[in-house]
Amino acid sequence: MIEILQWSTLTVCGLVAIARVPSAVRGKNRTLFYIFALMTLATLLSIRAPYLAIDQALGGVNLANLLLRFVIFAAIFFVGIRVTRGFGADDAHQLLTGRIGMAVMGLTSLTVLVVFLMMDTGGSSVGLVAVAGQDDKDRDLVQYYGAAGRAYPAYVSLVLLPAMVRAVHSTLPTLVRIAAFLLGTGSVAITLSLLFPFYPPNWGAATFLINYTAILCFVVGLALIAVARLRHGRGGTRPRTSTAK
Amino acid sequence: MPISAKAFQRWLHGIAPETSASDICRVSGIKRTTLAQQLVRGKVAETTVVSISRAYNVNPVSALAAFDAYSQLTDTRPPSRSELVSQISTPDLLRAVLARSAADPGGVPAAAAAAGSPALEPAPHATSVKNWVEAIDDGELRHRVSAATGIAPQNYSAQLTANRLAPELAVATSLAAGVAPASGLVATGLVTEAEAGWPPGARQAALDSLSDGELTTLAGDRLQTVGRALRRQEHDHEKTEKIWENLG
Repeated sequence: MIEILQWSTLTVCGLVAIARVPSAVRGKNRTLFYIFALMTLATLLSIRAPYLAIDQALGGVNLANLLLRFVIFAAIFFVGIRVTRGFGADDAHQLLTGRIGMAVMGLTSLTVLVVFLMMDTGGSSVGLVAVAGQDDKDRDLVQYYGAAGRAYPAYVSLVLLPAMVRAVHSTLPTLVRIAAFLLGTGSVAITLSLLFPFYPPNWGAATFLINYTAILCFVVGLALIAVARLRHGRGGTRPRTSTAK
Repeated sequence: MPISAKAFQRWLHGIAPETSASDICRVSGIKRTTLAQQLVRGKVAETTVVSISRAYNVNPVSALAAFDAYSQLTDTRPPSRSELVSQISTPDLLRAVLARSAADPGGVPAAAAAAGSPALEPAPHATSVKNWVEAIDDGELRHRVSAATGIAPQNYSAQLTANRLAPELAVATSLAAGVAPASGLVATGLVTEAEAGWPPGARQAALDSLSDGELTTLAGDRLQTVGRALRRQEHDHEKTEKIWENLG
């Protein structure tokens, strides 16, 4: 079940990234292509087989997991910038690119890096499960590492959420509002992931579900806006005014 | 659509006995599948009754009045002046303002100016539903309509903004306001002014009877509403453009 979710998420991300290649070549909103490519890479790194393969190539010390964290940071950062710009949420944009945003990003990045270095990370293991099983110290460190890794995406999500709620209730084109709803759902999912340490141990499946829901919501939401634009362009002109005949 | 298929078929038999459904559809320009679908569902649209009445030279308002839900339509009170004026389009009102000031730069009252003014566009116009409801609203009308029909106020407002109003709501609105029951059907465009028994030239006469002050204020209000709608549209357009620019 979880395998299906993982591979279908990877497929969706990959296809959307490929679909963005032509416009990226033309130089139109290239950031979107990077976002989709980063999300594809992140999904790839979260699946067991590719993770092990890539990590082996990187020396088998779970460097791939560290890479995964920063890929997610980069992806969510670009999502935040583009979405706040697009939806005209200047205050949210300021919260991401201003001093506070940079401080949060710097602090979480540093924590992730330092905690990673403190751990004994030998032996490739998805989600650092094997590392956590080594001893009490490593188990705690893996917890902190995971928490720091989820903190930055959660910060960006919380910043995005109000703008998305506003957009859903606005008079924007329906597809854009659906997209905003998906982006909002993704934001909620990421925020929920912050609470993973407090979930009962038998909720393992829920954590997977939430992670992949978040990725899918973001990718599909962003892709939907591009679709909306195409439809809008074809459907043609601006709505008629009340004085038009 | 509160007209039951059974009552409809009884009525149809009355005005076009011995006529096949396909003939009726051909004469009245209704799609056969549409009529069949309405009959199967047991609810017939008011527009169907209106089209068939016209095809058989029956007055659509009296035809509708034959159905229980529309029995109030037998009351053929004339429309009030404000209702008549509400059914004049904004461009026509503005033309009237210009015509008056051109005819009489001194600004002396009405009547003289009307002669030679071009004919008014037939009702309904682009905002006729909302203008009509505003013309008969005493401030509590929407509450009364909502209480009488059970429609949520926001749904009612949404219909007005979209320049639509379901026929049964149009009649309910007339009743709640105590005005001629058929006026709402004119404002929504279901029937014409003549079919509703409005005398020819009634709107023009109502327009001519407005003082310069009344006319100018009214035109100003309309213009302001149009301006607000346009501004909102432009604002939405800008926002959408920004989304395309960044995320398209």
